[in-house]
Amino acid sequence: MNRLNGKTAVITGGATGIGRAAAKRFIEEGAFVFIFGRRQDALDATVADLGPHARAVKGSISDEADLDRLYAAVKAERGTLDIVFANAGTGSPLALGQITAEHIDETFDTNVKGTIFTVQKALPLMGEGGSIILTGSSAGTTGAPGFTAYSASKAAVRNLAKTWAEDLKGTGIRVNVLSPGATATELAKEALGEEGQKAYGALTPLQRMADPSEIAAAAAFLASSDSSFMTASELAVDGGLAQL
Amino acid sequence: MNNHSEQKLAGKIAVITGGSSGIGLATAKRFVQEGAHVVITGRREKELKDAAALIGSNVTTVVGDVSRLDDLDQLYAVVKEKHGHIDILFANAGAGTIAPLEVATEAHFDQTFDVNVKGMFFSVQKALPLFKDGGSIILTSSVSNVLGLPGFSAYAASKAAVRNFARAWTLELKDRKIRVNSLSPGPIDTPALETTTGLTAKQAKEAAAQFATQVPMGRRGVPDEIASAVAFLASDESTYITGIDLAVDGGMAQV
Repeated sequence: MNRLNGKTAVITGGATGIGRAAAKRFIEEGAFVFIFGRRQDALDATVADLGPHARAVKGSISDEADLDRLYAAVKAERGTLDIVFANAGTGSPLALGQITAEHIDETFDTNVKGTIFTVQKALPLMGEGGSIILTGSSAGTTGAPGFTAYSASKAAVRNLAKTWAEDLKGTGIRVNVLSPGATATELAKEALGEEGQKAYGALTPLQRMADPSEIAAAAAFLASSDSSFMTASELAVDGGLAQL
Repeated sequence: MNNHSEQKLAGKIAVITGGSSGIGLATAKRFVQEGAHVVITGRREKELKDAAALIGSNVTTVVGDVSRLDDLDQLYAVVKEKHGHIDILFANAGAGTIAPLEVATEAHFDQTFDVNVKGMFFSVQKALPLFKDGGSIILTSSVSNVLGLPGFSAYAASKAAVRNFARAWTLELKDRKIRVNSLSPGPIDTPALETTTGLTAKQAKEAAAQFATQVPMGRRGVPDEIASAVAFLASDESTYITGIDLAVDGGMAQV
């Protein structure tokens, strides 16, 4: 049961971390995947690893012209698009009292505005059976000390799916949010170290951080027809962090 | 390369309450397709036998009512004798008759909570001695756990209780690595609307049409669409998911 046989997917933030794990998983389930990211070296390495069913387009989701090039490439090679995993995001801490306008703009330009245009510009290529997955965060529910802009931007992302489920009524396109908790991406492992990973893991009932492949498995569920009666939902893959 | 086409529940032992029709039956079929052996329970012997015939293989039936603790003991005695352990429990049996606040009787209230709350509580408690560490428990809640539905107040409150069971049990069972999640279906096209709510066939039809207008997807779901979500929560596809309420409701309670 290769659930994504013949499907075409776009994954933003696809060169590393959760996006890369999802690209690998989608391809294993039969999909053809376009990954989109800002760093050419990371894109090249990931596409080489993913094999013949992957393409890379370099760009930033906060740049509309870059998104236009992404979807032009999808249209040219595949004609239509079935799955959008709008996963690219950014988030750095800045304590209340120190927050700058630039910090807020940068966070919201990527996480909110970038996500909106990632989806809006994909729609002309999508149709019945399409699935849009937005990467939220447990921080969108719980907040996160020091992460004002990031947490608020992810709460906004969760809300986008509610509006779009209504806006997309009648199109057969579903839209859901996948909200990871603390995930042990290469970047996170490097930043946190062994002790930091343990500390984040200890916050959850499961007592560990997620492996990116666990987030990817949930993304594959939302991308596939196994979730055909789900829209506007939030699927938390957070080890229980924001659930109790 | 991983092979994701293989069966996701190969060799697993699953217990499904309310397994003779609707969501429970669809899930039993899906679990068996995914390689599990299922033990289904329900109150009506004939329906249970018919369900087993539909499922075909790798199915055991035990007649029982989840609100009767003796029946649960009997269920798990059979599971123990036949399989020795449990990997997955889908605590799905539920009841919901329509009764507006002004006219609802004590019997209506008690029956709703006896099945949906007490029955679920003991379905899980009594399964624990047989449960394998690392297993998965899925509780059937409902969109009504976060919605006000006129005429369904006892039902909706009982389903909110179920959602909260998942929270406490996530913590109580964390050392055994047993994951606990609830799943909240929206309106699903099952026989229950006609057979258990007290509606006439005509009223049930009207209610179904009314429900569909309240769902952003514009239709009721079918049992297989719940079964696929239950299979996801039951399997190793959801190893980092615990304590959640998974809404599979066409968007009904989300917007």
